[in-house]
Amino acid sequence: MAKVTVDGNVVEVPNDANALEACRAAGVDVPHFCYHPRFTIVGQCRMCMVEIDGMPKVQASCTVPIRDGMVIRATSEKALAARNATMEFLLINHPLDCPICDQAGECQLQDNAVAGGLPVSRTSEPRRLTPGYDRTEIGPHVIADMTRCIHCTRCIRFCSEIAGTGELSLIERGGHAIVWTHEGRILDNEWSACTADVCPVGALTTKEFRFRKRVWWLDKTSSICPGCEIGCNVSLEHRDQVVHRFLPRVNPEVNDFWLCDHGRFLAESLNGRDFLKPLVPNGTLPSAPGGAGRRETNWGEALGLVHEKLKAAQAGSIVALGSANLSTEENWLLAELFGKTVGSPNVEFEADQGPLRRIPNRKAVGADGGFVKGTVAAPNAKGAEAAGVRKADGASALGKILAGSLVPDVLYVSDAAFSARTADPAFAAKLRKAKFLVVHARVENPLTDVADVVLPVSGMTGKDGSFVNVQGRVQRFDAAFVPPPIVRTDLEVLLHLGRLFGSFETRWTAAHVFGKLAAAVPAYQGLTWEEPAVTGLPPSSSPAAAYDVLRPPRTSVDDTDKLPALAGKA
Amino acid sequence: MSEMWPAGYVPVLLARISRPDSPAIDGYLADGGYASWKKVLAGIATGEWTPSKVTDLVKASGLRGRGGAGFPCGLKWTFVPPKEKRGNKPVYLLCNADESEPGTFKDRVLIEKDPHQILEGMMLASFALGVRHAYLYIRGEMVHGAEVLNAAVDEAYAKGLLGKNVQGSGLDLDLTIHRGGGAYICGEETALIESLEGKRGHPRIKPPFPAVSGVWASPTVVNNVETLCCVKHILDRGPDWFRTYGRNEKNTGPKLFCISGHVERPGVYEAPMGIPFLELLALAGGVKGGRKLKAVIPGGSSAPMLTAEEVQSMPLDFDGVAAAKSMLGSAAIIVMDETTDIPKAVANISKFYAHESCGQCTPCREGTPWLNKMLKRVVNGQGKRQDLDLLVQVASQMGNGMTICVFSDAAIAPVLSGIAKFRPEFEACLAKAASPDFALTAPSDVTEKVAGRMAEGIHS
Ligand SMILES: Cc1cc2nc3c(=O)[nH]c(=O)nc-3n(C[C@H](O)[C@H](O)[C@H](O)COP(=O)(O)O)c2cc1C
Ligand code: SF4
Ligand code: SF4
Repeated sequence: MAKVTVDGNVVEVPNDANALEACRAAGVDVPHFCYHPRFTIVGQCRMCMVEIDGMPKVQASCTVPIRDGMVIRATSEKALAARNATMEFLLINHPLDCPICDQAGECQLQDNAVAGGLPVSRTSEPRRLTPGYDRTEIGPHVIADMTRCIHCTRCIRFCSEIAGTGELSLIERGGHAIVWTHEGRILDNEWSACTADVCPVGALTTKEFRFRKRVWWLDKTSSICPGCEIGCNVSLEHRDQVVHRFLPRVNPEVNDFWLCDHGRFLAESLNGRDFLKPLVPNGTLPSAPGGAGRRETNWGEALGLVHEKLKAAQAGSIVALGSANLSTEENWLLAELFGKTVGSPNVEFEADQGPLRRIPNRKAVGADGGFVKGTVAAPNAKGAEAAGVRKADGASALGKILAGSLVPDVLYVSDAAFSARTADPAFAAKLRKAKFLVVHARVENPLTDVADVVLPVSGMTGKDGSFVNVQGRVQRFDAAFVPPPIVRTDLEVLLHLGRLFGSFETRWTAAHVFGKLAAAVPAYQGLTWEEPAVTGLPPSSSPAAAYDVLRPPRTSVDDTDKLPALAGKA
Repeated sequence: MSEMWPAGYVPVLLARISRPDSPAIDGYLADGGYASWKKVLAGIATGEWTPSKVTDLVKASGLRGRGGAGFPCGLKWTFVPPKEKRGNKPVYLLCNADESEPGTFKDRVLIEKDPHQILEGMMLASFALGVRHAYLYIRGEMVHGAEVLNAAVDEAYAKGLLGKNVQGSGLDLDLTIHRGGGAYICGEETALIESLEGKRGHPRIKPPFPAVSGVWASPTVVNNVETLCCVKHILDRGPDWFRTYGRNEKNTGPKLFCISGHVERPGVYEAPMGIPFLELLALAGGVKGGRKLKAVIPGGSSAPMLTAEEVQSMPLDFDGVAAAKSMLGSAAIIVMDETTDIPKAVANISKFYAHESCGQCTPCREGTPWLNKMLKRVVNGQGKRQDLDLLVQVASQMGNGMTICVFSDAAIAPVLSGIAKFRPEFEACLAKAASPDFALTAPSDVTEKVAGRMAEGIHS
């Protein structure tokens, strides 16, 4: 550690910090654009200019390694004049299209201009245009608008240093320089939309979010990406009960600053909702396919019917399927109810093997070749197992049902989309062989088409809970908004059903259940619902400055480096 | 053809350029070329010649770099970390032949007319620095020069002056000619290195300096073509001889000057360091048509402009030009006579910098085109009252540490010096402008003179 003085305050910073980091540690917000904690220092934007004693000229603070005893003057007249100069230079050509720019509201250039820019413009020259390089798709997700580019090269460095794919480069020189893909290539890597995150301005935006919502209307909820077992921390951003996007929520131990495109663009898939009321059979069982033989009802009748069928059935002939998409709390309730109360030996789950997903992270536990990797296409396979739900295989009940050697009295599916196979009518038909088929569902699929009872549930947006990711890390997600009336969370459905058996109380919350689970499952010992290791870091205000969440205000780097101990225990 | 050096002066660097077939190795050998290289190689085994001996000779000669900054050459060589510190990293020598400073064309003559002189200088410097692979980076547009150099390198290999175990000395030395893509900024030593590595020519943040971390993160010495030629002559004739040229101990050796602009005989001249400007001007036949001298740019377009008065007694060496608050730079002397429209000249130079900025640093990338746009307007009669002050203010916030390299400082030098020294001419441009902005300004804001011209401009 070294002691550095910033504007008269002494802070202790690690020896490998630079002067910009020292200023930030001292709570002095020195604006900057090209600096990013994960990219090489290029010192190009010349925004973070400060004065340093002993150096006659102003310095780009990110380029100056600190040394013990260094005295930095971050708000001296000379430093401020230098920064004003850079802002002026950036603004003479930047278009004044904030009203139609998606970045407005989370634009670092706009923020800096508002915070410290000059009130007037001294230029009367025509602004630079970039014909042919505007509003152009440069890949499957990213749209480039080069009139807005401030040449910070973050996007280029993301592709070359983090993704390792190097699709982007500066072409041309000086004021004509633009960022574009190399000839004959497109920006298409597993994390291409991260370039839009790191872009401080609206030069790179995603096709999916473009023109969807002014960002200041968005509410941000801490969540976990449902795309795979890595469990990237996301900020689920929504308005009026509609999810608009995922942004990465920084977690140096998991996804760091990144998200893969696959997971990021699952966000809007959380919006569909086909069921608003429970459905029960209209007449005789089994119901006719296509839902023709069902009618809407209330929860009392629906759960009453399920309760009745369960009581009437042979415990050994009851099969309950948990899900790697449901929270650990829900899987645990399912295991408690069906395993312990009902006494069925068949509480199991199946999770899809998916394509390999990777998140660049060199330091994380379990990182392999610079990546945290996930092969299970659901977020909570480890949690389901930890909750006591066993993995299905050929010899288990699910395997037997599929082989046709078991026709259960009751098949209770807690997640109608527990596997991609549920999209296959032939697969659904095999499960339909059960004498009584109950599913929790948010959207229609071949399995809901043939179920006897459909219990309408909220999906992730309406509930809180926790997952266990591929590293064994317990991670919480929060409810974004209240689901429509009548629709319940999976947890509530299980609690209400459990109450009919006298096992659960309906006033329990996910936090409650987490506490019970933590008391019951040894791996969870000592873990609490509220602790930072479980909640992760809060969403940041702007994706380009996401690392701000790593820095509590007005403290030393010493403290900021000690992130909440995020080591999971399960 | 009249001589390109003062009467009675015996040229050193240009000695061979008018010989028939001067680039060929046979003539070079016949003229005593490669004697120093062979002498050093032969003395390795006996211990007569060591790298530090060569470095000491160069230091003793007082040779300062001819690329622009005038940094003492021998001192720069000593910045390469010793073997104990650099470990297994190789040391590279990189000869800077990117010559693209406007007004500069001296290296080209050496390259095209006497390439072996350069190669021998590089060989000797390589020995002094422990280099096993030396590079020469030549500006892309110099196609002929690259051909000449490549032929010369082939000849040197064929004669056993390069390659493995050169002349049985046990020393290996390879030399590669690398052609650039034609960008001014690639002459800046760290951009040169990036470009040599196959990347965009972007100057690097310094420190680390190339001598510590240059080509492929290894210690690298970058020297100009002319500097390395001088090394050869120092080894031929000794540092004492070298120091006989020049005004004082800090400015020594024979020097090439590129004179262009309004002179009778523009071209590359050789003279002792420190030759008075007026003598050199006379050598070039004086101001064209016997007209009056108005201004001089003494060291390439990046050097602040001087007025005729300021150059009257100015000696042309690093310290002499610095005393006049400009710089000798690449010794490209651009002479402007009384007919020169200074604002137009400045606008023209600013176009070059707007075109050549590499674009990394905000103040340079945005500032150079801004200056150019304003200057273009001013000279086209569309200036506004506030333009001159704005030009000065904008230029003043582009230099002095605001950028990674000193290109930006170079870009503002002609603007600031031009306006400071020839302000009335710029004001006259504004006066011609009939822009409403200008017409509306209160005369108290501008000088009486300009106000008068303004009226003229409006009525004519
Ligand atoms: C913008 C810029 C352009 C330059 N161009 C050249 C050039 O074309 N040739 C050259 O020899 N040095 C050039 N230099 C100077 C080099 O950076 C370097 O100082 C020089 O090659 C060192 O050689 P010397 O020590 O032998 O003078 C340039 C410097 C700057 C800042
Ligand atoms: S597109 Fe965005 S991230 Fe890329 S260089 Fe331009 S401003 Fe920076
Ligand atoms: S000062 Fe200009 S030329 Fe030099 S690195 Fe910066 S942008 Fe490039």
